[in-house]
Amino acid sequence: MLTVENVAVRRANTLALEGITLSLAQGRTLAVVGESGAGKSTLIGAILGLVPCAAGEIAWAGEPVRTYRPSLVMQEPRRAFNPRLSLRRSVCEPLVAQGLPRDEARLSRLCQGLEIQPDLLDRLPSQVSIGQAQRVGILRALIASPPLVLFDEPLSALDAVTQKHTARLIAELQSEEGFAALIVTHDLGYAAAYADEIAVLKAGKIVEGGPTAAFIDRPQTEYGKSLRNAAFALGALEQVA
Amino acid sequence: MRNVIALAFCFIALAVLAPILAPYDPAAINIPNRLSAPSADWVLGTDALGRDILSRLLYGARWSLGLAFLISFLGLLIGTVIGLLAALGGKWVDWFLMRATDTFLSFPELVAAVVIAGVLGASTASMIFALTVTSWMRYARVARGVGLSLQSEGYVIQARLAGLSPLSIARWHYIPSLLPSLTVVWTGMFARAILGISTLGFLGFGVQPPMPEWGTMLLDARIHMRSTPLQMIWPGLAVVMSVLAINLAGDALRDALSERVQDI
Amino acid sequence: MTRVVFGLFLRACVVLTGAAMATFALLWHAPGDPALAVALARYRTVVPDAVLDHVRAEAGFDAGYWPAFWDWLGPLLRGDFGQSAVTGRDVWPELVTAMSYTAPVALLALGIGMALSVPLALLATKRPGSWLDRFAVAIASLGVAIPAFWLGLLLILLFAVQLGWLPAMGARTTAHMILPAVTLGLGVAASLTRIIRSGILEARGKPFLPAFLRRGVSARGVQRHHIAPHAGVPVVTVFGLELAFLLEGLVTVEVIFSRPGLGGFLVSAISARDFPKVQAVVLVTALIFVTVNLLIDIIYRALDPRIGEQNA
Repeated sequence: MLTVENVAVRRANTLALEGITLSLAQGRTLAVVGESGAGKSTLIGAILGLVPCAAGEIAWAGEPVRTYRPSLVMQEPRRAFNPRLSLRRSVCEPLVAQGLPRDEARLSRLCQGLEIQPDLLDRLPSQVSIGQAQRVGILRALIASPPLVLFDEPLSALDAVTQKHTARLIAELQSEEGFAALIVTHDLGYAAAYADEIAVLKAGKIVEGGPTAAFIDRPQTEYGKSLRNAAFALGALEQVA
Repeated sequence: MRNVIALAFCFIALAVLAPILAPYDPAAINIPNRLSAPSADWVLGTDALGRDILSRLLYGARWSLGLAFLISFLGLLIGTVIGLLAALGGKWVDWFLMRATDTFLSFPELVAAVVIAGVLGASTASMIFALTVTSWMRYARVARGVGLSLQSEGYVIQARLAGLSPLSIARWHYIPSLLPSLTVVWTGMFARAILGISTLGFLGFGVQPPMPEWGTMLLDARIHMRSTPLQMIWPGLAVVMSVLAINLAGDALRDALSERVQDI
Repeated sequence: MTRVVFGLFLRACVVLTGAAMATFALLWHAPGDPALAVALARYRTVVPDAVLDHVRAEAGFDAGYWPAFWDWLGPLLRGDFGQSAVTGRDVWPELVTAMSYTAPVALLALGIGMALSVPLALLATKRPGSWLDRFAVAIASLGVAIPAFWLGLLLILLFAVQLGWLPAMGARTTAHMILPAVTLGLGVAASLTRIIRSGILEARGKPFLPAFLRRGVSARGVQRHHIAPHAGVPVVTVFGLELAFLLEGLVTVEVIFSRPGLGGFLVSAISARDFPKVQAVVLVTALIFVTVNLLIDIIYRALDPRIGEQNA
């Protein structure tokens, strides 16, 4: 269970995040939605321990999150891999780092789930498509069986068809593996389709949060309403509503 | 540019093959034949003790080029370690190491080397020490600069999240990215080390006679400048040619690697 | 900007303190009995132990590292560089005399370097790739590869020994300054030509220039108002490098021309193991070097507002 309590992050004398309180249970999905500059990436950094908190506490089952080694799926899949190393080396890095045995059966099961051809892993990051790279990125994030996986705009670098495909693969793997997923996205359609709960981040603060269906039906704030209406106008919410 | 690199390799080959190519023992003294002019037997003439200048030049290449290689390589190791420690070690380590680097740069490197070598007592060992401790700073700055820019790279963040040890992160993610830039700095420092060795040798603070080092040979030749001026030409020409070849090879390398070289 | 300048100043102070500590540590750990070296230099003969003890106490060698360090630093901060270990005379006046021989040569060399490099670089970049440009590049590459002392010896050989036009040894007349200054000036010219040339070529490649030309700004106007300042920024920073080059060159060049300047002063002090003198030269050189680099840093930031507040 991830708990984020009253967290504030200071950036150059202003608060990039303020009074953030969230919780996320094992196996569940929380989507944090907001516009660019709302502080989404800072929130991810704070949860991963890459950005120091000025106030508040972040814990996983009562212990500091870093001891549980949450993993991260990045927005730009290619930049998440060392351009000089084969994808296989990068994928196995968490296992090597944590001294875990290399479980070939698990690797091939995950590859199958993510529709990654086995020979793809022997290529360099520059030799695969962006969609393939993102699936390998998800593979790397899952290989060491972390209890919590953070997704930083996991679909925004992909084209529309690949987006849908990748989103479905993530959801299927989550039901098999049972990790908690925190998805940060500007795409309310994606959040509404896959998240159990939604939190709306605006200018460093959570302005609204709750179960997905309730939020889509009846947003509590003007900002939430405008986000939902914009998504409707684009047709992004049709399949949900 | 290929010719230039070939030339640089020629000098290294000359140094390695000195025992085969040299017509005489570089230390063999032949007083009756001292200060002789170039002739068929002694192609470049002989020095004040009658030693063959060509043989001494060839063996001298081993001192000048070999020690310059050693010094620039030691500087590379020290500088890379310090630069990476500064980039990875956090704010205070960075502050301390960068002020230490500034302190060593607060003084022209060669003047510092002269002081250190002279004070420690004229010997080859003090010269190596003096030129090494004054030659790591550029590497440190480059390593730190590239290190800091890599810190925000996605794959470095992933490695940190995965819990990879700092040593492994440096080994797998930093050093491969650093190598092109460091190699270019290294060629420049190699050339500087050749100049440094000959300068210290010339001042009497470097390789000691009777070893045939080019700067030391110039120190000997200077005394007999009026009677046999040619003696003074050869060692200097050897220094200039090798520095020039290495500098030009470095320029070519920089152009070839320009896409991968950062922060120079 | 004031804050940045103050930060840079503070950093320079830290660096100078570090340099002073490093110098003291080096001299303290120098091999051999410093008292014996001083006594030998002073009396030119083997002396009894009683005299050695006297020298040791007088120079403060027996007090231990930190007391000796504070003993040395205190007067130093008040501008007192102490007395020569060999002659017993004050170091400072001797240092001033040495600098009075060095400064004109260094300035003349800098002038020669500028006078040669600026026209050469401007002519060379008129038509990049022309024979003149290749010539300039070749000369510049050659110039930075020649050790200053060897160039000096060649000039002595040609102009003093063979032709007899100029005096080589000593510093009695103004004419004695010419050969050392030319020796150093040629080196300065070589590295300046390289830097100015690439500065001009880089500024030419800037995207705003074709726009100016299209708008009818004359080619000459573009050269004067837009290319020259761009080439100027690297030239300012390069003065730090040129100063380093000059100081490095002076050490050997003053030795071969037998000039009683700073370089000759340093080498003879090291050879005599006259440590107060060595310390004085080292610290004065560091002070000059750090001050000049501090000024360059400030000017650089003033010229290029983009750097402004960062890296402070």
